Amino acid sequence: MNHIFLQILTGLQISALYMLIALGLTLIFGTLGVVNFAHGALFMLGAYFAVEISSQFGFGVAIIAVPILLFIIGIIMERGLIRFFYERPHTDQILVTFGLAIVLGEVMKTIYGANNLPFDIPKWGSGIVRLHEYLPFLEGFVAYPKWRLILIVVSFSTVISLFTLLQFTKFGLIVRAGMRDSQMLAFLGVNITRRFTIVFGIGSVIAAIAGLFGGPITQVEPEVGMHMLIPSFLVVVIGGMGSLPGAVLASLILGMSISFTAEYAALQQIIIYLIAVIILLVRPRGLMGKKGLME
Amino acid sequence: MTKKSDVSKTVSRRSILKAGAVGAAAMSAPMFYARNAWAEKAIGNYPISGDTMMLGFNVPQTGAYADEGADELRAYKLAVKHLNNGGGMLETMTPSKLTGSGVLGKKVDFVTGDTQTNPDAARTSARRMIERDKVIMFGGGSSSSVAIAQQHLAHDLGIVFMAGLTHSNDTTGKDKRRYGFRHFFNAEMTGIALAPIIAKEYGKDRRAFHLTADYSWGHTQHDAMKRATEAQGWTTVNNIMTPLKSTDFSQYLTAILNSDADVVVLNHYGKNMVNSLSQAVEFGMRELQKNGKTMEVVVPLFSRLMAQGAGSSKIQGVLGTTNWNWSLQDAGSQAFVKSFEAEYGFPPSMAAHTCYCQTLLYANACEMAGTFYPPEVIKQLEGFEFDGMGNGKTLYRAEDHQCFKDILVVKGKSPAEKTGEFDLLELVDTTPRETVTYDHKIFGGELGSYEPS
Amino acid sequence: MNKSTSIFSKYPIPIFSLVVLSFPFWFEYIGGYPGLDTKILIWALMALGFDILLGFTGYLSFGHAIFFGVSAYATGLMLKHFSPEIIPAMFIAVIVGTIMAFAVGYLTMKRSGIYFSILTLAFGEMLNSAALSTLQDITGGDNGLTIPDVKPVLFGIRMDGLSMYFLAAAILILGYYLARRIATSPFGLILKAIKSNQERLEYTGIDVQKYKLGGFVISAIYASIAGSLMVIYEPYVATEYLHWSTSGELVIMSVMGGVGTLVGPMIGAAFMLYFENVLSVPLGEEWLLVLGIIFMAIVIFLPGGFMEGLARIKKRYFNKSNKEEK
Repeated sequence: MNHIFLQILTGLQISALYMLIALGLTLIFGTLGVVNFAHGALFMLGAYFAVEISSQFGFGVAIIAVPILLFIIGIIMERGLIRFFYERPHTDQILVTFGLAIVLGEVMKTIYGANNLPFDIPKWGSGIVRLHEYLPFLEGFVAYPKWRLILIVVSFSTVISLFTLLQFTKFGLIVRAGMRDSQMLAFLGVNITRRFTIVFGIGSVIAAIAGLFGGPITQVEPEVGMHMLIPSFLVVVIGGMGSLPGAVLASLILGMSISFTAEYAALQQIIIYLIAVIILLVRPRGLMGKKGLME
Repeated sequence: MTKKSDVSKTVSRRSILKAGAVGAAAMSAPMFYARNAWAEKAIGNYPISGDTMMLGFNVPQTGAYADEGADELRAYKLAVKHLNNGGGMLETMTPSKLTGSGVLGKKVDFVTGDTQTNPDAARTSARRMIERDKVIMFGGGSSSSVAIAQQHLAHDLGIVFMAGLTHSNDTTGKDKRRYGFRHFFNAEMTGIALAPIIAKEYGKDRRAFHLTADYSWGHTQHDAMKRATEAQGWTTVNNIMTPLKSTDFSQYLTAILNSDADVVVLNHYGKNMVNSLSQAVEFGMRELQKNGKTMEVVVPLFSRLMAQGAGSSKIQGVLGTTNWNWSLQDAGSQAFVKSFEAEYGFPPSMAAHTCYCQTLLYANACEMAGTFYPPEVIKQLEGFEFDGMGNGKTLYRAEDHQCFKDILVVKGKSPAEKTGEFDLLELVDTTPRETVTYDHKIFGGELGSYEPS
Repeated sequence: MNKSTSIFSKYPIPIFSLVVLSFPFWFEYIGGYPGLDTKILIWALMALGFDILLGFTGYLSFGHAIFFGVSAYATGLMLKHFSPEIIPAMFIAVIVGTIMAFAVGYLTMKRSGIYFSILTLAFGEMLNSAALSTLQDITGGDNGLTIPDVKPVLFGIRMDGLSMYFLAAAILILGYYLARRIATSPFGLILKAIKSNQERLEYTGIDVQKYKLGGFVISAIYASIAGSLMVIYEPYVATEYLHWSTSGELVIMSVMGGVGTLVGPMIGAAFMLYFENVLSVPLGEEWLLVLGIIFMAIVIFLPGGFMEGLARIKKRYFNKSNKEEK
């Protein structure tokens, strides 16, 4: 019992970080139709800002400041580069954002060096939680790091907030309509461009949240964005490009499979790719992908 | 041209290309050889033309180990400066024939390259140094696979390679080569040095759970630690191989929590180690009680740069081994640290120390041989015993080109104990050279011939 | 394209051969060195094959490292355990590479777009992991497959230095000739039709799947030969050959040079290797940053790569009369 419970918890926690990064990726793809390979770099920037700001002013300030900073960076990125690629093929989008990811990583390396920056978990989030004191079905002693539990909560709250935003607000309604048919909205006189820019900003804010709460776990170094990008991108593809529920489902599948294969090294190393291959061979567009997108 | 190919079986391509131009030079070749009775062949870039001895420093400038590479390069530049102008360890090294005014009358110069911590890229970069820049020796690097790839190339092309930071047993074990030398210690020595001390500190009836980076170095480190700790009476509960690219180790740490192990051995290096150690601490593995004992974490290979990356709140009290640390008080270390600090404003890392020493050792071997002819230089290095370079009396073993010296066992300092940004490791014990010397036959491998075929 | 026939489009093969065969004799004057020119040819061969897939059909594979790497291992094992004679080694390597290509191609070619790219990436990463851990007793793991004291020979002639260069050159010239033949053949035209409109092609009753698979396999054979040559040139196999970054580099080379032009990707390969190994030296640790910026600039301003740049320069300076006529 203990064993299975802990593995599930670990699976949830691994999924939580993938989910946060994949959510931004798939949101940007679903609305703007852009494959943003620099999304991992946004996560990396978020983590660097989080270390820098929290060491100067405390983690509380970082929670407010980092998402605002990333929102601004996201807007600059969309206006300054991405918007010129809306009409270009997806391969061009992948390549230019891939180039941007290399450049951003190298810039951070030049400033901070290639070594890790230590990112200490704030006092209120450090230590372990003795789960057996709260959950009667656990036997004996079961503990889990508090920060990882916080990450799970933060991640799922972000998912719920994003769904609420898209489902129940006027902004969300317009954006969802824009995803279906942006030309029609333009005819109706809705300024969809401005809203899409904001969507890019929101995607960046989610990357900031991932950097803030994931940074202490993945460590802060120039290549961390690239390391997180590939599994997160697999999550997006397995879930179906542009599908938010798909991304959530896929990250849970990958997280759990990584957690449960931990002791079988040979399988563990290929498990996420194996799942990707099986799902894509059975379901051509991922779990919840739409026909015609990215084919 | 024909004359030149008479004396050398391996006609370099450039010599064919420049056939016309070097005709005159080739005519004078026999006279040159007559002066050096032992030199019968042109090997690699020997004989050196001109009055500059060119060295190649191939270090990671991009990728995960770029900081180590940058520090290696700083040390190399310092070594070249000292070889040309004197200073540093030139004053403490014994025996030494170094003059501080070049080597064998030639000025020392260098070229640099980027290994990218990728064996293929490292070999291409090394070839540039060898074929275009005509280096007589090259060195550097921060990974065993890169060192092994380069030392095979070195042997094929007849250029001496002085490996930088490489800790795998394979480098001087099954993949050893006549043209490759290692100053750094290795996984086997770490095991022998560390096991008695952790057994003394934590007790002889411990149950260990290993996490091992799934690549060659990790395997040799795990193997060495397992043998050495079991010899002390420990039980190995389990070992999990972790993919090299892992950043999150929670799934493995969960498995450890579920087991009855009370010690965690992290056979990780670099970012793997920073991550796994930080996360083990986060999982409470240094406070938990198991089997009536406090759980402990052991990191076999420690480096100051990694300690810096993890932060002293994570490393405090963690035991491991290291090749060298700038806080050592012997004359050799002090001479090196002082000149390094004067040049760059902060203390050197152990990677810097190794690269610095190797450059001096190679230059000294040339002086002792009285020639740059590689087989003679290699023979001088083989079995060479020296002192005054920071590790006490040290030997380059002839049979496998592995260095043998006292091994430092260190402990991470707590934030309260440290006196500065770079003061992270505290010396706990020194395991004497005799104790860590093992039989070279246990790893197999062949050094190969003195002259490349 | 340019109407006024340039010398190159008149005599493509002789001029291409001239450039390739004379390359080692002038390369050193621009900072090159003997080892690099052979390596450039090998990568050029792989980039050329890659263009048959990406340039003709538009399928972006992130798994071409599979064929390069698998055939490199096959060659290495043959040289190490069987004979230093390269013909059997290359033969086996190409067969292994082709079988791999059929297997991977059959499974991945059913999907298109990003789903195809991800599938090829996934197969590549699985193989790379296997080489690193499960199969490390055969592959040597991350230490690489070391082949000490083996000197590859062709009919008893040792393959190193210039002899190796001319072997690679002969294969590359032949490869270029065949690629041009494929481009103008009915088979090549169908491949290009797949890029522009696959659905319409299906309505005509052509078995598109078969053609796509054909293109994929041909492209993979180029990569296999390149992988085999790499190990003959330097008897050592790095696990990096199987890593996705090898495929990634191939994509970058192709894009920089100009996708779909055959010559472009080869120029891209030469530029990348030249930059990485010669121009990077004065740039020191910032070289990757500079390369990243150059790459971005090319994607933004020159979607057709160097070839488009050349065409633009030509149009501006040499075809003024043409323009005026219009």
